[in-house]
Order: sequence, then C-alpha cells, then structure tokens
Amino acid sequence: MSNSSVGRRRLIPRWRVKSSSLSRRFRVPGTKRSLLRFEGRYNPKTLQRELILRDKKPLFWLIGLFALAFIPIAIGQQLVFSIFGSICFFAAVNVFWTLIIGTAGLQSFASLATVGVGAYAATYLSITYGISWPVMLVIGTAFGGLMGLIISIPARRLDGLYYALLTIGISEFCRNYITQSDALGGQFNGALFGADRIVPEEAMQTTTGQTIAYLTSFVVLLISLAIFRVVSGGRIGILLRTAQSSKEDESFASAIGIDFQRARLLVFLIASAALGFVGAFYATNQGGASLSLFSLDQMLLLLAMIVIGGLGKAEGAVVGTVIVVFLNQWFTSWGPWRIVLVGILMLASVLYTRNGLFGLRQQLIEIRERRKALSRATRTTRYGAFLPEQGPEIPDKGVIAEREFERAIRDQLRDWITPEIIEEHRLSPMGQHSDHLERILNYFRKQPISNKYVVYCEESYKAYRVVALSGIPGVPPRSVDDKTYSNLDEAYHAVFLRRINDLKSQH
Amino acid sequence: MAQVSVTGYTDKPSVVEGETVSFYVTADNATEAQVDIVRLIHGDENPEGPGFIEEVVSSDFSGVKQVKKQFVDLGNAIRVPDSSGKLALTDSLTIATYVYATTPEKGRQVLLGKFSLHETAGYALGIDHAGRLAFWIADGSDTDEIVSQVPMAHHTWYFVAASFDAKSGKAVLHQEAIVNPYNGRLGRVAPFDHLSSVEQSLKLKIKSATTDFMWAAAGNSATVRGAFKDLLFNGKIDRSYVWNRALSLAEIKSQCGQSPIADGLVAGWDTTIGYGENGIDDIVVDVSANQLNGIGVQRPIRAMTGYNWSGKHDDWRVAPQEYGGISFHEDSVVDCQWDVTFSWTIPEGLKSAAYAARIRIGEAEDHIPFFVRAAKPKARILYLFPTSSYLAYANEMIVHHVPVAQAIGSHPAVLTKTEADYFQDPKYGRSTYDHYTDGEGVCYTSWLRPILNMRPKWRSSAIGTTWQFPRDLSATAWLEHQGYDFEVATDHDLMRDGLDLLKNYSVILTGSHPEYWNEFGLNVMEEYISTGGRLMYMGGNGFYWVISYRDGEPEIMEVRKGEAGMRAWQAEPGEYYHATSAERGGIWRNRGRAPQKLTGVGFTTQGFDACHPYFRMPDSYHKSVSWIFDGVEGEKFGDHGLALGGAAGLETERYDLLLGTPPHTKLLGSSTNWSDNYPGVHEDIMFHHPGLLGTQNPAVRADMTYFTAGNNGAVFSTGSIAWTSSLPSFGYENDVSRITKNILDAFSKPGELPGGAWTEDEKSWR
Repeated sequence: MSNSSVGRRRLIPRWRVKSSSLSRRFRVPGTKRSLLRFEGRYNPKTLQRELILRDKKPLFWLIGLFALAFIPIAIGQQLVFSIFGSICFFAAVNVFWTLIIGTAGLQSFASLATVGVGAYAATYLSITYGISWPVMLVIGTAFGGLMGLIISIPARRLDGLYYALLTIGISEFCRNYITQSDALGGQFNGALFGADRIVPEEAMQTTTGQTIAYLTSFVVLLISLAIFRVVSGGRIGILLRTAQSSKEDESFASAIGIDFQRARLLVFLIASAALGFVGAFYATNQGGASLSLFSLDQMLLLLAMIVIGGLGKAEGAVVGTVIVVFLNQWFTSWGPWRIVLVGILMLASVLYTRNGLFGLRQQLIEIRERRKALSRATRTTRYGAFLPEQGPEIPDKGVIAEREFERAIRDQLRDWITPEIIEEHRLSPMGQHSDHLERILNYFRKQPISNKYVVYCEESYKAYRVVALSGIPGVPPRSVDDKTYSNLDEAYHAVFLRRINDLKSQH
Repeated sequence: MAQVSVTGYTDKPSVVEGETVSFYVTADNATEAQVDIVRLIHGDENPEGPGFIEEVVSSDFSGVKQVKKQFVDLGNAIRVPDSSGKLALTDSLTIATYVYATTPEKGRQVLLGKFSLHETAGYALGIDHAGRLAFWIADGSDTDEIVSQVPMAHHTWYFVAASFDAKSGKAVLHQEAIVNPYNGRLGRVAPFDHLSSVEQSLKLKIKSATTDFMWAAAGNSATVRGAFKDLLFNGKIDRSYVWNRALSLAEIKSQCGQSPIADGLVAGWDTTIGYGENGIDDIVVDVSANQLNGIGVQRPIRAMTGYNWSGKHDDWRVAPQEYGGISFHEDSVVDCQWDVTFSWTIPEGLKSAAYAARIRIGEAEDHIPFFVRAAKPKARILYLFPTSSYLAYANEMIVHHVPVAQAIGSHPAVLTKTEADYFQDPKYGRSTYDHYTDGEGVCYTSWLRPILNMRPKWRSSAIGTTWQFPRDLSATAWLEHQGYDFEVATDHDLMRDGLDLLKNYSVILTGSHPEYWNEFGLNVMEEYISTGGRLMYMGGNGFYWVISYRDGEPEIMEVRKGEAGMRAWQAEPGEYYHATSAERGGIWRNRGRAPQKLTGVGFTTQGFDACHPYFRMPDSYHKSVSWIFDGVEGEKFGDHGLALGGAAGLETERYDLLLGTPPHTKLLGSSTNWSDNYPGVHEDIMFHHPGLLGTQNPAVRADMTYFTAGNNGAVFSTGSIAWTSSLPSFGYENDVSRITKNILDAFSKPGELPGGAWTEDEKSWR
C-alpha cells in the first residue's frame, strides 16, 4: 500500500479578521439579510480566526446581472439589443413559470398563453380606448390574474399529465380564438399592433431609444426576480417546500397544519398575474401582440430553457434562457441545425444531469464522494485502518491511535479462537476462564455502546433474546434475530457467538 | 393500539399511622386504573427462592381511580419573580453575564432573558443554532437577532453582553473569553481568538413576553401540556446584569470583571452571595435597589467554580467570590411537581413494613413503594431500609452510556422492556451513577419522581441480579418467615429522629447495600452502638459515600464523587464541596471515617460473575463467638443463594486494622480465591501494577466479622451484598439463615451477649 502525502495549500489569502475592532454588519434595508453571508470560524488546522463567504450566490447574481445589463449597451448594436431584450423577456416568463412548476408544483403549460392574454388584452384596449402604457401594464396584470383564476379551477381536481394536457389545450383554444376574432387581428393572422409604447416607435431608431427600451426589459426581469425571491423564499415558499419534502405531500402537509392547496393556488395566482404583467410589458415594448405568444413551438423552446438550466431555481431559468435564446437568435445562419442543437442540449441535460446545469454541482460532489469511497476501499487492505487523507476528517486523533491498538489486539485474539475456547465458554459463560478466553471476553465487554449486544429479557427466567444497543437516546435496541433462549447462560453464549463472528469478519 | 403505561411516586418515603401518603401518578393512553394497596413481602423472582409475593391490604381504598397523563418540565433555570414588571423591558436595554457553555453546539439555548416561544415575544441573550452568542428580540409575530462572528468554544468562560437601543434600532453584541491556567478545559497555549464585537441594526420593536425572566431557559406552552421551559442551556452562568438603557461598547467592555455601572441598572445578580455555614440555597441575590432575587428551578448546581476561579482554593468556604458558577442542565429534575392523583391515610394498627400502591391498567402495572414505620415502637428488631442508597441509584442507566459497563458487570447486560423504553426518553431524570447530557456527573437525586428501579421485581441490567430495594425484601421476607416481631424504618426516619428512633430497638438490621450516609446518620449509628445498641450489617459496600440533604428538604440528596473510590464520575477540580452541607464530598474513608471504624469491615472489591461460599476462620471456633455457628455443619457455608449462587460476592468488604477495624474484632469467616472479574478497589491502589485482580490479589475477598462494643453493644458484619439474597434459599432453611438467626436471637435479647465470659488468655497445650 502506497500512501501519498495529503494537504492543500491556500493560494488566495483569507479575509483578515481584526477581532479587536467593532464589526459593523449591514443589512439590505427593510430585510433581515446582509448582502453577503460571511461566517466566522476557527480554522481546524491552525485555530486561526477566518471569515468565509458561506453563500457565493449573491456575488454571482451581481456579476451576471451586471453583465446582462451592460454588454448590449457597450456593444450598442440593434441585433444585440434585440437578443438581450428577448433574453430578459423570456427569462422573466421562465422565472414565473419556475414559480408555478417548481414552487407551486403545478404542471401548467399555459404560462406563455397567460402572457399572451395579458398582451392581447392590453393591446386591444389601448387601440380601442387609446389608453396609455402604464394603464396597459395594470390591465395586463389584471387579465393575467383572471386567466390564472380560470386555469386554476381544474387544478383543484386534476394533477400531473392530465393537467398539463389541459393547459396545452387552453393555449390552443386562445390561439384559435384570436385567429377567429377580427377585433384581435384574426384577419392579419393574429398580428395586432398600434398600442401605446414606452419608447415611441420613432425613438426606437436611435441607440438611446434602444438602450432605454432594453433597460426597461431588464427592469422587468429584475422585478420578476424580486417577486420570485419574495414568494419562493418567503413564508409561503417555505411552507410549500416543507410540504413537498415528504413523499405523501398533501396528507403530510395537512397533518402539520399547512393548507397545501390554498398555498399552491395562491402562488399560482401571483405568478399568473405577474405573467399577465410581462405580457402587457411585451405589448408596450413591441407596440402590440402576435400569435407566436400562443404557439406550441415557442412553449417548447421555453421548456428547453428551463430543462437545460435546471428546474425550480431562478438562476436555472435565467441561464437556460440565455443559452437557448443566444443559440436560437445569434446563429440564425445555421438554420434548422440550431434547433437540433437545442434539442441535443435538452436531451443531454435530461440524460446526464439530475437537474440541469444548476444541479450539476451537487451531482459532481456526489460523484466525487462516490469515487473517494471507492478509491479508499480499494486501497484499504485491512479492516478499520485509516488512510492519510482520513486524518483531517477525524477531529479526535485519539480515535486513530485507539484504532491501531484495536487492530493489533484483534489479530491476536482471532488466532486464539478455537473450538475448545468456544466450548469452554458454552460450558460456563461466567466466572474465571482460561487466559485466552478471558482476554477475548474483556475485549468484547469494553467495546463502544453503539451496536453492542445485550440480552433482552422478555420474561424473567423463561425467555431471553439477543439485541444490539443503538447507543443513541431515543433509538431503541435493534433485534438481531428471532431466537429465544430459556436461560441466561444460553443467551450469554449466543451473544458470545455473535461477537466471535463479528471479530472473525473484521480483518 | 397506543401503548398503555403507568408509573408514579409518593410525597415521602415513610409514613406512620394516621398520616396521609399522596400518590402522583401518570398514565399514558388511559384514564382509569385499578389501584390496590399491597404489602410487599418478597421481590426477587429467581425460581430458587419464594418468588414475588405481595399481599393486598384490605381497605376501603381499593378501586378504580381516575388517572391522567402528567408531564415533566425537565431542566434547570433560575426564575426571577418580578411582579412590578421591572424586567418587562420593551425599550433600550443591556444584558451582561459570564457564561461557560458545555454544549454550545446542541441548538438554540437561552442564557438570560424574558422570552417566550409561544408568544414570539420578549428579549434574550443566548446561543444560536450554530453555537454563536446571539441576542434575540421578538415583537409578537417575528423574531430578529444579532449573532457573534465565531462559535463559542465549549468549557471556556466568556464575558458576554448585548445592548439594544430602541430609538436607533442598533444592537451591539460583545464577547471576550476569560482564560486562566485553571478555569477552563483549555489553557492559553491553544491559540483561540475569542474576541468579537458586532454592531447591527434590528428591525423590530420588543413586545414583552408574559413569561418570567429566566436564566437558562425560555418560556413555551402547548395545548395539552401547558406551560414549560424551552431552549434550555447546558453549562455554567456566573454573575449577571440587566440595564434599562443601551450601554455603549466602551461601557460594556469596561464591565468585564467589575461591579456593575449603577446608572440604569435594573438587576445585578451576585451569585457569590448567600454562602453560609451549611452551604447555599436556591436564591440568587440581586444587589440592585430592585432586589429582584431569582429562584433556582429543579435545583441548579451551586458552589461551582466561577469565571474568576484562580485555582488557588479548592473550597468555596475559603474563597466564595471565586465560586459564582451555577451549573444548569437540560435534563435535570428533582421534583416532577405533578398533581396528586390519590392519597391514602394509614389506618391504625397497620403493620410496619414495605408497602406499595399497585396500579393496574390492563397489562400495564406498576408498584409505587412506600414504608410504614411504627407509631409506637413495640418490637425489639428494626430493619432499616437504606433509602438514601435507593436514591443514589434512582433510574440508573449505566449500561446505556458507559462502554465498560459490561466489563464491570463481566457479562452481557440484561435489559428489560421498562429499561429499554426508559432510555428512549429519560424524562424522570438520572441517578448519581449517570451523567447529564453534557457529560457532567449527576450530583442531585430525588424521591419526587418515578424511580423505575426501586420496584419489587426490578433486576439491574448491568449486574443481572436484583439490586437494593428488591434484594432487601428478601431480608424482611425472611424475618417474617422466621416469625420475628420486627418493624421497619428508613434512612429518612433516621436522619429526622436520630437516636430517638434507634434507641427503641435492641438490634438494627441494615439493608444489603447501605452505601450512602450523611454525617448525622453515621454519628447516630456510632452513638447507638457505643451506648449498647447492636448492629447487624447485612450487606456490603456500606457507609461509603458522603451525602448531604438541605435542612427541610429530605427528598433531594447531594453527592459529589471525589478523587477516589469506585466511582461513576468525578467532580471537576475545585468542586468537591457540597452546596447543601459545606462538607467535602467523596468517600468517608478519605475524610478519616473508613467504614471499618464503625462495622469492622470496609469496601474491598466488586464483581458480578459469580458469588461464592464463605469458609469458617479460626476465630469462629472461639467460645466467645462459636454460638454464632450453632447448627452449622462443616467449614463451608453460604454456597447457595438467589444472587449468582453464593452468599459472598457482588460488592464485598474486608477486615483491615490499618483502616480502623477495632482490634478485638473476630474474623468469623472469609471467602477468597475469586476470579479476575473482581478487581481490588481503587482507593487501595497507590501504584497500579499487574496482579491487582481477584486471582492474584489477597485483598479480593469477603470477611465476616464480629465485635462487641461498650454497654453490651455489638456489631456483626456479613461483608457481602449477596448475603441477603441467600437467606431465602431452600425455603428459608439454610446455613446463612441459621447464622443470621443465631445472631439475631442473641442481639434481640437485652442484657449480656452470649460468650461474654470467655475473655481469658488461652493456655494452649496442643
């Protein structure tokens, strides 16, 4: 057995801690959160104080969002503005869809349709009554909420695949309705334009106008992320996650006092209203609405974004969107192959990852743990021997030294196990024995409590059994078999035989 | 079907006719129980003896009683009654204290505060889920907190403080360690930097909690259970202070080790005040003008070293100012404080004996024992049940948390369902053989809780035989079977009535293992013997540990196991002196009072693999004592019994002139050549060396002795716990029974003892 030395050098210096000065901890105003979660600890190898950034996510968010906001402005081309605008729009939709699928646990495919309803309603009313864009946003929100209310009704009874099919049906119904409706641009294949815009059409020709229009999209994404954070990270999100942590979701939830149905429908309504708002924003951005909002292929593209990014997480929704939108709109020259590429990515994500891009980290950690265990198992030649890399993992080094002692003594004792010794014990489990047997017994008797065999008295002087102690308060002794013994000597010997067996197996 | 179980306790161990004994009973999943009063005759179910025998006392009392589930509010705290609401602070405030956490990592714990979980209200200084110092405020619906930068180290003293300025919402938290070479687990060479001062704004306003201000606990409440303590703390807390204004960080820092700033001081508890001649009580004195004294709940341990313990003094009597530490444990209980379920007035003329309320609910059954002593003693014989020793072992669970328990027992432990169940949830507290959850030895034990192993049929899991009370019933059953007129009393009666109790009797029989004695009890026994009383010491390892009770509270016993003796734990350095009596704890031998001085023999070995016969020693043939062996044939006796088949064993004693055995003591019998599972006792060992176990150590044996005292007094000592269990063998007719009978017949007659004339020097021609 060859053991290489272990140890990792720290290359980036840790945050210096000056303990004598007052540490002022700032919080995000109005919340109990600090911006970055630094945690103090004593380095286990030196006992030096250090600060560790426990949660790096806020940092990545900050960098990511900063890049999202400033890359298109820095480049200043219309195509880039358009791509990034799409990213913001789809990301916002996906964030709310994530809220519906992930947090509320409802398999709805009518999210884009809800956006469409918001967009058409706002556009129609703006064209017909000449209302301005801020009112459009309010109207979109209201119609989104209304749409949510309608599709939430079947959710009380339907679940899973049936509900998903139903929501696809609803989307299809909306699309058909618009193609049949003259008022909604049915004669122009659903294109309904002429609504009020935030940035007037003529200004859209200038870079300033495009910049402002893009920034409004970006702000919508920020708002959607904020809503996601409040709903998913808030009380209701915690309730839903608690409920979903059990296999028997709903019965478990109601048992601990969570009204699961109410909570998930509330999340669904909030998300739907927000989707309506995003739709209305789309209308104020594009000056109207088009039928693509109800199309199945667009819906499936959104699905690909969520699957690639990782379901249930806002960062998954955003990054998945960035990837798919960029592929789809930047490599337009590739023609259908870019769609194939999206499909391949989606397939790979389903086949090889447990939960998209953002489930990869946990997956990699587990792969590493598995490999570590395997590699250790192949290199450990003797039962219970420690490898160099296990040193840092064991806080009490006394355990290591004692383990060495135990290994040596076990080897000795194992050699002494003979049929004669076993017979000697059977004839007289108590009292003075031969030196070898006495030493074997003392070894057994001093073992730690966890998994230690004891006799369990079912009925005094009539029925005894062998059980093993857990060593943990609250965890009852475990039965080792269903044999009963009529007297204590037999039971003591049964314990002895089990211990001998265990000793033999501990090479 | 839900499991039905029932258990309970009485208000006192011993009663006399006309007195009322109250029973406190809890029942799981049942509302009615059949209750009878029974006289306990024999306990040990070993088929070689008479088995379990009880006799229902015909009384109007028997019948179906209403029972209910009763809860135990486990854990220590100090409650501060505050009718004027001075601590109901909702504005700015500062709390400062000294703390020594033993389990900072166990989860949220309150150090000081008026905080209630069910109301989400109040304020508290505590330790958070990650082991960090924390200050919490709550406004009735939400909680906010400020936490320290680093987790607290365990077994280390800290000065900690939090201040909150309600106007600006700013909170300041400060901690600094106080490490000297003596006062904690680690010295200064371990390069911890414990210092941390944090400032942060809190977004809530404090809403006052309706629960009391408490040390070491928060208030909580649940529908069926009612109010209880929560967020319990393990460790020590020293002097503590509360101000009704926000002290600046500079002011806070200046408080460490100083007396408190008077400006705004609401309460300033000086935990070193209150030490007196006989220890210290449960009152924690507030030296501020408000006099908000606190009261200990479930007997927090006082007389403990404080943050400033210098190591120079090991005794609080010399330096009380260094003994401000009060120790708290989440699993401490000295009084279940249940509602009385029923009570019984002892009818006139009821025989003095051990009794029990037998409670049955279907298959579930429990016996709640109590003792009836004689109102006007008439018998000449008294059997003294060693209730102090019963308390020491109350709810012992050594098998479950001491790895070497099976090595001590020298066989696999034998569990019963009751014990296996109890360890799942040890809600009635632990014995002085156990440790609290934080690893500290249990030094208080009490009668006011169910004692599951003080039951007539109980067998000790570690030892595999009966232990204490059920074994002692073999002695009283024998007395009854032999037709003796005898009465019973307990250690608690002896401690109350002293010589007035003993002097009524010609002879006192002890229990099989009267191990725990307070000084008063020993003094009375010594006085009794030297003034003509006769003692039959029917056991082994007796008169061994120092104990004490606080005056007026005989239910709660204190033990501090010292630096020697066969001990389950050892008090921390500097904490050997009892809080309830100002005595040094430990074994009596190391206080100059070896058991040999009283009984002729003292603890020498213990083992649980086999019990053995005695052999007569030369002295036993001397005419002054040979009458003891009348009717006994041969040299060997006691090779039978309900305890591992012999009269000599389990825990045994030896004659030792160097330890104070009276020089005229006769060695009547001895048992030797035992296994290596009987080691010599710890207090005999100076250098440890090979050969101290039974097969090689001559001190491993049991000696039976006899000596006379002044005024026709005398002491007969069996030198072995197992002796009592050999009395019932062969239908109570056997050599052990014969010897005991010969002694008892002689001792119970007043006047001169047999053999008294044979005092002349021998002239041997042979």
